[in-house]
Amino acid sequence: MIVRLSPTGRRVAGAILLAIALHVLGSILIDGYSSEFTVRSMLVLASLLGVASIGQTLVVLIGGIDLSTPFVIGFANVVAAQLYGDGMNFVLVCLMVGVLALVIGAVNGALSSTLAIHPLIVTLGVGTAIQGAVLLWTAGFPAGSAPETVTKFVSIGGHAGPLPVPWLVPSFLVVIAIISVVLARTPFGRRLYAVGSNPSAAPYALISPRVVWTTTYALSALFAAAAGVLLLGFTGSAYGDVGQPYLFQTIAAVVIGGTTLVGGRGGLIGTAAGALVLIEINTLLIGLGLSPAMVEAALGVLIIALVSLYGREPHVRATI
Amino acid sequence: MTEASGPSPPRLTAGQWFTRQIGRRRETSFALGLLIVLLVINVLLNPARFAPAAWGATIGLAAPLVAASIAATPAILGGRGGIDVSVGPLMGFANAIIVQALIADAGISSPLAVIPALLAVGVLAGALNGALAAFVRIQPIVATLGTYLLFSGLTLTIVPAPTGTVPPWIQSLSGQLSIVPLAALIIAWLAIKQLPYYDQLMAVGSDDRASYTAGVPVAWVRFLSYCLTGLFASVAGLLLTALIGSADPNVGGGFTLLSISAVALGGVSLAGGRGGLLAAVVGAADIFLLQSALTYFNVSTFVLQIAYGLILVASISLNGMTAMFERWIATR
Repeated sequence: MIVRLSPTGRRVAGAILLAIALHVLGSILIDGYSSEFTVRSMLVLASLLGVASIGQTLVVLIGGIDLSTPFVIGFANVVAAQLYGDGMNFVLVCLMVGVLALVIGAVNGALSSTLAIHPLIVTLGVGTAIQGAVLLWTAGFPAGSAPETVTKFVSIGGHAGPLPVPWLVPSFLVVIAIISVVLARTPFGRRLYAVGSNPSAAPYALISPRVVWTTTYALSALFAAAAGVLLLGFTGSAYGDVGQPYLFQTIAAVVIGGTTLVGGRGGLIGTAAGALVLIEINTLLIGLGLSPAMVEAALGVLIIALVSLYGREPHVRATI
Repeated sequence: MTEASGPSPPRLTAGQWFTRQIGRRRETSFALGLLIVLLVINVLLNPARFAPAAWGATIGLAAPLVAASIAATPAILGGRGGIDVSVGPLMGFANAIIVQALIADAGISSPLAVIPALLAVGVLAGALNGALAAFVRIQPIVATLGTYLLFSGLTLTIVPAPTGTVPPWIQSLSGQLSIVPLAALIIAWLAIKQLPYYDQLMAVGSDDRASYTAGVPVAWVRFLSYCLTGLFASVAGLLLTALIGSADPNVGGGFTLLSISAVALGGVSLAGGRGGLLAAVVGAADIFLLQSALTYFNVSTFVLQIAYGLILVASISLNGMTAMFERWIATR
């Protein structure tokens, strides 16, 4: 049987095959690349990046971009640690951080869509202000730590029932599955794709781009905040700049996963594969003994090479 | 004398009249107003820094950001997501090339050798970005993100830690002669504006499909816009080198987002085809004066950061609101 895939389907399949190919390559080149510990840590790192990239995917699907992701991650990381350290109930802490993140995201989306300002600038400005506020609050020296539950949830050595991975990994996959179904099967999901495909036609289908933008950006900030709290459990202590590598990595994961930045095409399964590809490349390069500087340079070259394989845009003449 | 015949000019709507009164580009007029206010505040707060005797040093302080913003502009003008996020790391790369590779390792310190080599590096780096974005057709933000990582990785390999010194002629570029490289950039831009290329760039940025059907070589026009961005970014790297007087692998990257904020504030449309050098310079000057005024109050850098973020959002929002108001007026 021949399975016919849409262009997006081909890109997602490409990303998954790439992750597998990279893993095989790593196992051939590097001793111990397929050891249990390495595989486990790669899955945990990919899930952490994946959680942060969920929001970025949704935002890119509606034709936007969210540069506030690293700042919201840092915000959630520091605020959660600080409040929990002050003796607040952790569930309450998560609720507060979540609500604040939703508000931050909603401001991003509402401002960009209502005033027709490029989201790049809005999210950058809001993110910068948030980071400044957090730094001011903690005087630059955040304190506190994560509760045991969160640490166990993300610990590389953890077990999810019979599975040899911490609960983070299966939970991430379940969340991805749920959101994929929501995107494909619910009115909300269809509205999201409609706004992304053609923002000026959407209102004729009685879809308000403003509402879609506001909710989607709010969700994006919520997932960034979740990543921030999970990272708190992973690293053990609060750090305001913990999200900085995620600024470009989330965008790279989204694009490698086959979601196009013009909006309307793509999905979360690709993004999960894209996150895994990035972590595989990073592990492979470090395993080959490259210096951190050379790892960075090689990562740049590889991202370009990968995207040029299957993420190219159409020629102008094809768009007329 | 006879009166000019032909149809009388169309009556302007209130919105068009309003726009015409305050200047050609409303966003830039807004940024210009902000510039004047900020300049007055700065001069009142800190007369010593803005006295004529200190102009050289003050311009030298602002020059890297101004040049970075000029550099960010051509790629953005090309439209369809055109943007170059590698401007900052390219400045850092130029800094490392000048101080470490040319001056320390090869012993070349004559401006006649350093400047052409630097410009060549800039054009080549820009050509790489341009080829990836225009010919390979990778989404520009991803292509230049790749080269962002490449350039910053190479910079860290050449200069793992801050090091080196610069000859007097480079030092003077952050002092008495600080206006020279900026003037060179402005003259270069004005010259480009005289070329048919400039019209093609603005046409491609406004509507690439119409331009393509009109026979404009869209891909080449975009490719050249990245070359210009790379060229200007290398000059920005020279100005950065003059200001810090050494090689530092960590200072370049920050200029990417600053320069993009500056051009957006100045009124360069991130959708392409609208804006230019004046917008970029005014936006960059706004951000510099804002930072300078806030620093004077001796507030913590954290407050500085909050204020900077909020003012960026507020001014862009005001711009957006004015645009909505004008559209509303135009429909009256």
